[in-house]
Amino acid sequence: MTTNHDGGADAAERALRLGRVRSAMAAGGLDALLAFAPAWRRENVRYFTDAPLAGTASFALLTAADADGVSAFSTRRADLDSIAGRGWVTDTQPLSVRAPSALIERLASAAPARLGVAHYELLPEILLSELTRALPRTEIVSATGLMDDVRLVKSDWEIARMRQAAGVVDAGWNAFVDALRPGLPEHGIVAAVEAAIKGLGAEDNFMLIASGGDEVRGMTAPTPRLLAQGDMVRTELTPQLNGYWLQICRSAVVGRASDAQRRSFDLFNEAVEAGIAAVHPGVTAHEVARAQNDVFRARGLGEYCTSQYTRVRGHGHGLHIDETPIIEGNETELPENAVFIIHPNTYTPIAGYHVLGDPVRVTRDGAEILITTERKLFEGATR
Amino acid sequence: MKRGLVLFDPAEIPAGEWSDRVAAVQRELAASGTDVALIYGDVSRSDDIAYLTNLCIYWNEGILAVPAQGEPVFLTKLSPRVFGWMRLVSTLTEIRSGRNFAELVAKFLGPGDGGTVGLIEADLWPGAVTAEIRQALSGWAVRPLTGLVRERRQAPSAAELTLLRRAATALAETADGAAAPGLTDRERIALAERELRGGGFLDVFADTARTGDGVTSVQITGQYRYLWLHASRIADAGGASWPGALRRALAAAVAAAADGATAGDLDRAARPALGELPAGAAADIRLVHHADLATNGEYADYPADRPVPAGSVIVVGIDVRLADRTHASLAETVLVTDDGPVVLTGQPDPAEAGGPVR
Repeated sequence: MTTNHDGGADAAERALRLGRVRSAMAAGGLDALLAFAPAWRRENVRYFTDAPLAGTASFALLTAADADGVSAFSTRRADLDSIAGRGWVTDTQPLSVRAPSALIERLASAAPARLGVAHYELLPEILLSELTRALPRTEIVSATGLMDDVRLVKSDWEIARMRQAAGVVDAGWNAFVDALRPGLPEHGIVAAVEAAIKGLGAEDNFMLIASGGDEVRGMTAPTPRLLAQGDMVRTELTPQLNGYWLQICRSAVVGRASDAQRRSFDLFNEAVEAGIAAVHPGVTAHEVARAQNDVFRARGLGEYCTSQYTRVRGHGHGLHIDETPIIEGNETELPENAVFIIHPNTYTPIAGYHVLGDPVRVTRDGAEILITTERKLFEGATR
Repeated sequence: MKRGLVLFDPAEIPAGEWSDRVAAVQRELAASGTDVALIYGDVSRSDDIAYLTNLCIYWNEGILAVPAQGEPVFLTKLSPRVFGWMRLVSTLTEIRSGRNFAELVAKFLGPGDGGTVGLIEADLWPGAVTAEIRQALSGWAVRPLTGLVRERRQAPSAAELTLLRRAATALAETADGAAAPGLTDRERIALAERELRGGGFLDVFADTARTGDGVTSVQITGQYRYLWLHASRIADAGGASWPGALRRALAAAVAAAADGATAGDLDRAARPALGELPAGAAADIRLVHHADLATNGEYADYPADRPVPAGSVIVVGIDVRLADRTHASLAETVLVTDDGPVVLTGQPDPAEAGGPVR
């Protein structure tokens, strides 16, 4: 499942990204862009480096004066060698958050009039104060939205990576179903899934889970609860492969499904299909969410689409798990080659919280489902 | 990302210990004239908050407000739908949510004549958040506080040590298994995930590294409950002779981890054996408090002459970088005692260290 690097295609992808970012910088009046990656939001530095990151803090820096140059900084020495080995940046420097001299010197040398910082909102005070001290005449603004917009439309190169991730997603779900048996604790399912997807090269995974009957109101991290016959086990499972996250949402029953669980599946499947049918280039996140929610409203279940019971009706995917929220009121347009999951996950009194959804790519005339796992109510082993 | 077992078991850490921890912080607040301390955490580093409440921030960010008197309150952007679970797995009784931290803090403090709010380890908070809070709290003095919770976490309690020993046994066995001959890199990582998450670890970071001359090492960092451990092993020497020197160097560094030892002491102990590394290789002798493993020590500040007191749990490790920019590492989690170091995650050969290591 690893990616074979293709020098020509990689160079073209790098050039495409730098072109997009520089266009956005020009539109935003930025002389320099500094992408910050704390340990839990590395998507923008990854966009510039195409290298896995493990450091607690990393940066990528572009300046308007250097058309092809990207500098990378990291608190983890091994990251710098990994980044340099990938060849997407022109130089690498170690970073100390308490004495970030190399970063500060580079910025002071560039002396931008207007600097955009992606994930400015997460930049530690100790680094922000160093920036402001070193750049007294620079206007420092957030570039988080700028980078979100740049990453929204996936290139063919990125779509190819996400198709590879889809294979790991399908394998992760198979491992999930194979593990189900009465007496297994929830965290035992996670262990089985993690072993399966890491064995296929997954770098990371985001996963929530819930098991039980119609009393289940939402998903959390796993508990020691032991599975019982008839439980519906819900998950959203989101492996990351070669940088790209992709999610599947499914529910499975330990043993045979009840009539209520089947009726619940039918409802949620109809909502997923309505969401998929709404997809076309330029559709808004609001419209995709409304199409799903209308299925519930038509059955008098509209209250279960509110924040009292649920969060979003899906969200974007890419180098971050949770990009554009698919929610009513979000008028963000989803152009061709945007990738997101459609998941009407919520509680209803029919069978409790139900989880179902597929990741899709916006195509010229609709939606392409990226995974191959069947959309059905799975029934697990009874041993 | 957090996806392992989150458990709050009063049999593991008694209720009195949880309340004592909060009370100790509150005494420090009162002594410094601070009315409320605020502690920031996100999904990647929230151990101060977990130490006081057992809460796991499994996603996003949050702030724990600890008043000089009264119960801590958690402020979060997460939906109230997850509050029930949060209460189930923590000591928290009150959780408040909203769209903006500054508004949440201002509402929590309420109207009044103001007072003093302390931001614990303010330099590591997102600067934008601290700016918003300062702006929202007109009438209040907002000042930075030291890492007073983190300092308390460095020396585990007896109950925590029991958990650490249990976790260390599992981590050591898993590291040995993952370093067994004949496995692929992915099989080593998959084994670590299966064993440790199946054994109740909350988080696992397993990775492998291979040097240009064929030395493979396995690094595993694990979080059990809210406590962290690390071990690195050589899985395959690849025909190179220097891993033996690396093992001797680590054993010497571990043996030097006595009460009052400094990072400099560990470095001096390990250096002689490292003379056998290949030409052009660089070695970094690492000392990381277990309390800082969420960030691998990269947000910490360890002066080379700061002593490590008995009772501390630290990771002693050596990272080697060869001239071709490839890496290898060896490391153990060590309890520093009055009687010397106790290796929690392994048992280096005493003969290699030139002295007994328990």
